[in-house]
Amino acid sequence: MASDEHDRGREPVTGLTEVEGAAAGAAVAAAPAAAPKVLSPWSDTWRRLKKNKLALIGLGIIAVFIVVGIVQVIAYPLTDGRGLTPYDPNAENYSLSPTGHGSSPSLSHPMGTDYLGRDILSRALVATRISLLVGVIAVAIGLIIGLILGPISGYYGGFVDTVIMRLADIFFAYPYILFVLLIMTVLGPGFVNVFLAIGILGWASFARIVRGQVLSVKSMEYVEAARAQGASDLRIIFRHVLPNSMAPVYVTIAMSVGGAIVTEAAMSFLGIGVQPPNASWGKMISDYLNYLFAGSWWMVLFPSVLLTVTVFGFISFGNGLRDATDPRLKE
Amino acid sequence: MLTYIVRRLLQLFIVLFGVSIITFVMLYVIPGDPARMLAGKNATEEKIQEIRVQKGLDKPIYIQYGKWLGGVLQGDLGESYYLQQSVGSMIVENAPNTIQLALAAVLIELLGVPLGIYSALRQYSFWDTTLTTAALIVWGIPVFVLGVFMQWFFGLKLDQWLGVDIFPLTGAGDNVLWVIPASWESLMSLVLPAVTLGVIEVAYISYMQRASMLEVIRSDYIRTARAKGLAERKVVGKHALKNAVIPVMTIAGIDLGALLGGAILTETVFARPGIGLMIYEAIGRRDAPVIAGGVLFATVVYVFANLFVDLGYAAVDPRIRLEE
Repeated sequence: MASDEHDRGREPVTGLTEVEGAAAGAAVAAAPAAAPKVLSPWSDTWRRLKKNKLALIGLGIIAVFIVVGIVQVIAYPLTDGRGLTPYDPNAENYSLSPTGHGSSPSLSHPMGTDYLGRDILSRALVATRISLLVGVIAVAIGLIIGLILGPISGYYGGFVDTVIMRLADIFFAYPYILFVLLIMTVLGPGFVNVFLAIGILGWASFARIVRGQVLSVKSMEYVEAARAQGASDLRIIFRHVLPNSMAPVYVTIAMSVGGAIVTEAAMSFLGIGVQPPNASWGKMISDYLNYLFAGSWWMVLFPSVLLTVTVFGFISFGNGLRDATDPRLKE
Repeated sequence: MLTYIVRRLLQLFIVLFGVSIITFVMLYVIPGDPARMLAGKNATEEKIQEIRVQKGLDKPIYIQYGKWLGGVLQGDLGESYYLQQSVGSMIVENAPNTIQLALAAVLIELLGVPLGIYSALRQYSFWDTTLTTAALIVWGIPVFVLGVFMQWFFGLKLDQWLGVDIFPLTGAGDNVLWVIPASWESLMSLVLPAVTLGVIEVAYISYMQRASMLEVIRSDYIRTARAKGLAERKVVGKHALKNAVIPVMTIAGIDLGALLGGAILTETVFARPGIGLMIYEAIGRRDAPVIAGGVLFATVVYVFANLFVDLGYAAVDPRIRLEE
């Protein structure tokens, strides 16, 4: 997704996804057979990904983000909400904000302090927890629903397929930010509800991709062989069809995690996402907005940079992974 | 072709039907009693009941929906709970600003086309690496973050340094002929929001254009054209360009459709009147008719833009068949 005004993950590159998706899917499935040297799909993907420096940088950013996030997720209950940070993120210290406008970055507070004298770095670090959780939980919700409905739709076809795909169409057509806003209004503010809202909306892209993949592999010989051996539908879908159609799903996961993080930030920016005392990058940006215009740039700048860098990491890695798994780009 | 259009229109109405039902259900289950809110704090139970009956809120949801749908089919989107105004006239009032913003943003984003083509033709060169890296970074900037910093830098700091007020921080100016800024101030108030949206889209478009061009120049027919001994300029200009640009144009078309339905975050950051801000404020006030009408408008614009893009794609690219 490019701008968060509308979610790119849900947007077909051409209007004619089904045709293209199926063609690309067929190529993905056919690729291992065509390769002269027998390489496992993963080692082949890694070999190609390694050449893409931007993707590697993205992977590095994701790794740092995940490690910091996990540390904060674990530390949060153990430290009673303080997190593992240089300073207590919620400790107010008016000597560090003598005029009520915080203090600019210094050696002891590299990102400065906010209007209450709270350490920005510490707050930004605890906020990683929310971003990691929203990325994992919201995308997992969408993925699970998509991985159930997508294969059903593609494998059985007919009426079930029509119903599921028309439902997906409705979700694609619904203006994304508006949809999230309305679900948040129904559920009420709070970060768990943000996870739910983003999660509920995520299924359609996964379902559509998996369906296309299933369609393209279901008539392949190895699936027919499995069927001839008397394998059940469930076994065929989850043992034979899905494992061979996951590459585009992994790409979509990477992009969706980035998208979920931005959407949470946007909701918190609009004031209906994460509520105090929880810190979130989007919430920090909106809380400190007035201070930016009053001259205290550091309060808004650092959370913005962290948010942008993290999203860049996922987009960069996602694009790299797409190229690395795209059989049309093989040398 | 005609069967295709008919089938698409049919699907489209199912989608619009579904979107409006989902909206209605959500508005119905939003906590709070609209009649009580409308009546005010000190209203008596009788007064609340009177409003409830007057607005039809005492009826079950499917009756309310049926009544609304009946109105919509006759071109009546209902009336705002709070502003003594019909939803239709609110949309007509707010649409020009949004159309203006969407058109300006899409015009800016088309700059990504030459950038992407340049990158692709000089793959792995210094400029390609720089442009591609920049594109991915800019693509990662959340639109509200960019908006805030554009406002801060160009709306505030620049003015302080130069001592003149160039770009207003918020708002929109008057238009003539619906979408053309009527004055210099009006044009200047368009610049920051349009550039905010446009710059992020430039990044995306240039990335996509690069990928599309790379794919095309590796295809067999380009190899054939080169093998024939055609000049590189002709190979690129005559054979590759068209096929590489068309798919990217479809992205721009879909973007336009999405933005015409209102850019909620951008319009909110810049407090710029438009469809997005109208719906956002309506959500804050729980103004159900405005929300329902606004969502329907945004969806209609988006799905029709998608349809036109697909038809246009098929019209210019004979390889695309529209049977399924």
